[in-house]
Amino acid sequence: MFRRIAPYGTALVGAVLVTAAIALISIRFQVRGLSAFYLLLVLWLGTTWGRGPAVAGSIAAFLLYDFYFVPPVGTFEVRGQSELLELFVLLAVALVTGQLASSLRRTQSAAEALAADERAMYELATAALRSPEVTAALSLLSERAERLKGVSRFALVAMDFGRAVDLAGGEVTPDELRQAAWSYENGHPVGAAISKGAVTLMRTRPEGGGAAFLPLAGGVVVMRIEADRTDAADLRMLAALIGLAGLLLDRRRAVLEAERARGFEASDRLKAAILSSLSHELKSPIASLRAGLTALTAPQAGLQHEQRELLQDLDGQALKLDRLVGDMLALSRLEAGVELEREPHRFADLVGTALHQLHAELKGRKVKLEIADDLPPVEVDELQVGRVLTNLLENALEWAPSDGGITVGASANENRLTAWVENDGPAIAPTDLDRIFETFWTRRARGSGLGLAISKRVVEAHGGTILAENRRRGPRFTFTLPLARITAAR
Amino acid sequence: MSGRVLVVDDEVEMQRALKTGLGYHDFDVRAVGSGEEAVRETAAWRPDIILLDLGLPGMDGFATLRALRPATRAGVIVVSVMPGEKDKVRALDAGADDYVVKPFGTDELVARIRAVLRRQADVPAGEPVIRSGDLEIDLARRSVTAGGRSVKLTPTEYELLRYLALHAGKPVTHTTLLRQVWGEYAVGDKYNTRYVVAQIRKKLGDDPANPRYIVSEPGVGYRLQA
Repeated sequence: MFRRIAPYGTALVGAVLVTAAIALISIRFQVRGLSAFYLLLVLWLGTTWGRGPAVAGSIAAFLLYDFYFVPPVGTFEVRGQSELLELFVLLAVALVTGQLASSLRRTQSAAEALAADERAMYELATAALRSPEVTAALSLLSERAERLKGVSRFALVAMDFGRAVDLAGGEVTPDELRQAAWSYENGHPVGAAISKGAVTLMRTRPEGGGAAFLPLAGGVVVMRIEADRTDAADLRMLAALIGLAGLLLDRRRAVLEAERARGFEASDRLKAAILSSLSHELKSPIASLRAGLTALTAPQAGLQHEQRELLQDLDGQALKLDRLVGDMLALSRLEAGVELEREPHRFADLVGTALHQLHAELKGRKVKLEIADDLPPVEVDELQVGRVLTNLLENALEWAPSDGGITVGASANENRLTAWVENDGPAIAPTDLDRIFETFWTRRARGSGLGLAISKRVVEAHGGTILAENRRRGPRFTFTLPLARITAAR
Repeated sequence: MSGRVLVVDDEVEMQRALKTGLGYHDFDVRAVGSGEEAVRETAAWRPDIILLDLGLPGMDGFATLRALRPATRAGVIVVSVMPGEKDKVRALDAGADDYVVKPFGTDELVARIRAVLRRQADVPAGEPVIRSGDLEIDLARRSVTAGGRSVKLTPTEYELLRYLALHAGKPVTHTTLLRQVWGEYAVGDKYNTRYVVAQIRKKLGDDPANPRYIVSEPGVGYRLQA
């Protein structure tokens, strides 16, 4: 109360003192225009206290001058027109002076506040950016925000890959964490927002005067603001601090994501290395097993027919085990993102190689080819696509009736080559047409359940697609391969 | 046909299995467990065939191959668990005659050994006509017949087929073919060899689904069926 009245008191006292001074001077000297002294007072009042006290001082000066110096002295009465004019000029000049002075004061104090804001932000930002620990910088920021008037709490919650983490600025209750997560996911501020560079409080405050939530790019600000204690400058400062917090949370997220990516990469490499070494360890004993088992099936070993058959069965099992280990390694390498050695190849050659490799399994069976002579070359990894072809052909061999046909075909448009392997075996159940490419899904007795899964990954690694469908005569597998960009060079 | 086979493998079980298995096929077999021993034993015993495992402890298979090759004319068959195609090419370019992937059956191994031995016996160079199945290449007259039918080849096609025929049964790498057919400084575009092989196959009347003459070794090169 006193603080608000004091300027006006000062204005009155000042006006009285100036009146006394004018009176003293006019006793000894005959000077005109001493009323200008009042202007000094009004100027001072305006720059020091603002417009109100300046106006009060102007009016007081007007009245006192009228009373003491304008004839008839000792009354508020004014006789002459020139005296009246003099009085009003005094009032007008005093009012304008006060107005100018007070607006000067406002501009200056605003500039000072802005400079203070800027200095504080600068110090905070440099401290924050210099600090290697983003969390420490955020704590610093939160402390600064809580020093602002009306801000009783300023906490930061980071959203790390969908999980809310209490980072800085006092404890956040589990309930508030949930609210923060909700606010983040919906991009919906609660209780407060930022507009035109300042924090604005929403009229609909959360129930029970709870915290306000403001979502940022990498997290959420949880704060409590008492509306009646804040001023515009502090709300601007708060908005600037929130902006800085947003930047710091972004930086923190970038660091986390880089770490996570490095972790994944390392674990993929490790996985591939372990699997490779494991496969080696598994295959070496299988190699000894097969060498020993097949050694004993030679007639010179002198074993009886049944014994030889048993050994051949066991060798078949060892072979199956070997195939399974190989398939698992192939699949895990594909999943780890193996690099393809893509080169131009003629599709017919790839089919020929696959058929040559399956020579023993084919047992003289003919495979029908529908591959045009003038197909453009494909740009593929020979070994991987060879794997797809042998897998699909083995699958066809398993299901095609011994008198039924197996067909491999291909056609091309300007973008890609479409190839198919079909057999006249039983249809695949419609519900299985997609599942058939899943890992370990098999309807074959002999398969590892990995062949089609491997094929799908190989085709997709080449940017193609593979699908299974039923024709009237039996199942067909269709896949696409990219064409080579070059044309045949001699 | 029999011969001396030196098994270089650090697994005792494998050594025993091969001694027994190859022994039943009338081979004279000795086994060592390291590259150093292999070099000594090769000098002392003079084997006809060396079965060299690439994954040896200490001096590895490639180092052993480099140490062996100038000192012996023995056929070297490289044996390995899961060799990458690059390993196969490297071994062939370093002078190996063939490779076999573990695990293998004894019959398969015996067939490979015999093929290498046969190639070594065939070496009497200067023979004017190379025969491979019903394929005949007359080196003096530079003419080729397949199944009694004369085949017209371009010079490049002829050179490539001749080189494969001179090494019938042996896998020949893309780089070797490029060097032999296109010259020492040919820059490797494997599609060149693939294209020429496709042309030869077509002219020989080979069925791509069932190649009788030239077989692809995926990622490595080609082999003319012996």
